[in-house]
Amino acid sequence: MKFRAIDLTMSAMFAALMAIGSNITSFLIVGGVPITLTTFFSILAGLLLGSRLGAVSMTVYALIGLAGAPVFANFSGGLSVMVSPTFGFILSYILVAFVVGKIAENRSSRTSFIFAAIVGLIINYGFGTNWMYFAYKWLASTDAISYKLAWTWMIVPLPKDIILTISAGVLALRLRKNIHKITNVFDKETIA
Amino acid sequence: MNHALIIGQYVPSNSVIHRLDPRTKIAIIFFFVIFVFFANTLTSYAVLTLFAVGTAVATKIKLPYILKGLTPVWFLIVFTFVLHLVVTKEGEVLFRILSYPIYSGAVEQGIAISLRFFLLILVTSLLTLTTTPIEITDAIETLLNPLKKIKFPVHELALMMSISLRFIPTLMQETEKISKAQASRGVDFRTGPMKDRIQAIVPLLVPLFVSAFKRAEELAMAMEARGYQGGEGRTKLRELRIEKIDILAFITFGIVLIGLFLTRA
Repeated sequence: MKFRAIDLTMSAMFAALMAIGSNITSFLIVGGVPITLTTFFSILAGLLLGSRLGAVSMTVYALIGLAGAPVFANFSGGLSVMVSPTFGFILSYILVAFVVGKIAENRSSRTSFIFAAIVGLIINYGFGTNWMYFAYKWLASTDAISYKLAWTWMIVPLPKDIILTISAGVLALRLRKNIHKITNVFDKETIA
Repeated sequence: MNHALIIGQYVPSNSVIHRLDPRTKIAIIFFFVIFVFFANTLTSYAVLTLFAVGTAVATKIKLPYILKGLTPVWFLIVFTFVLHLVVTKEGEVLFRILSYPIYSGAVEQGIAISLRFFLLILVTSLLTLTTTPIEITDAIETLLNPLKKIKFPVHELALMMSISLRFIPTLMQETEKISKAQASRGVDFRTGPMKDRIQAIVPLLVPLFVSAFKRAEELAMAMEARGYQGGEGRTKLRELRIEKIDILAFITFGIVLIGLFLTRA
């Protein structure tokens, strides 16, 4: 894999944005339920950076979290997150960014962006919930939690995530335009 | 809060464990995590627990800090224990709670599995309690160095991690600044239905993203201007060195492993 300097800095900066996004609501919304925008941001990573850099930036995000920076939801972080059953969601962001990026690359209509975003959400839920089910089953060595129950837990955040996903698709286009206006980061030639 | 974000859960001290090379700590934890699953008798669990608790004591970190690292998973540990009590039906009936039988096998298994959970989490959180994220990044870079042969971008990943860690506090301040600026224009993040709140985040995100990408561009230009050409021939500010205490740590861990294999059935 060959990286230009701009590739490195963009992916790193997006990983930092993701870290902000995972806890942004905890210092904005007081007295409400803190929601995490990680899925939203990982979809944006795919839409804005493309498949390759999007996946790289999500990998960097997962790594700095495991290295101990409190960048995961609820300011958690550290190697011990790996033992938690929800670790699959963190891993799924890499796949989400990659697939979303692949779908949206070379397309820039609103419908294709929203379509890509929804596919991203499906991957996030599918991968994360399966991981959660199998990880817990293995760690706790018990069959007491059924596959259905694991999915039932995921119904609660679903409506909020669908709204967020669609707005990610819409917002990505706007962000792209705004970023393009003042920087050259999306130009292939200007920065070698 | 910004400070906490840079150093993570790291608690500064000058204990033996803090002074160990981060690579030593990562290697030992890696093998510990694997070998936890080998324990299958009471004494073998005791050996591992002794090692984990002994290490925790050696860090000289106050108990509340260590417990804080465990809080997100306390629930899982207790939940797993209770689940085993209710579900497992092996061995004899020990006693009854409201005429519900509790089996001896259930208690044994519940304790073993919860203890395993606890050990895994304790040991892994000791790494991040005694090592800064930047030290871990350096360690990962040198540990994964052999992967360069198969063209895995080890240096690039480590560099991105460092850049990212460096810019999280900056972007955090930026977020605060923008949210205040938008609040003064009447954007309300705190009240109203969920849909409105999500919409209120948009005028926050657009300037945040634009400024983050602007920074990325400036940083890339600065790197190019200084002749950045990848990891080849780059020297390091922080050199990692294996010292005597690292060798001692490996020997101690080796003894624990021998103890584990002698005591397991």
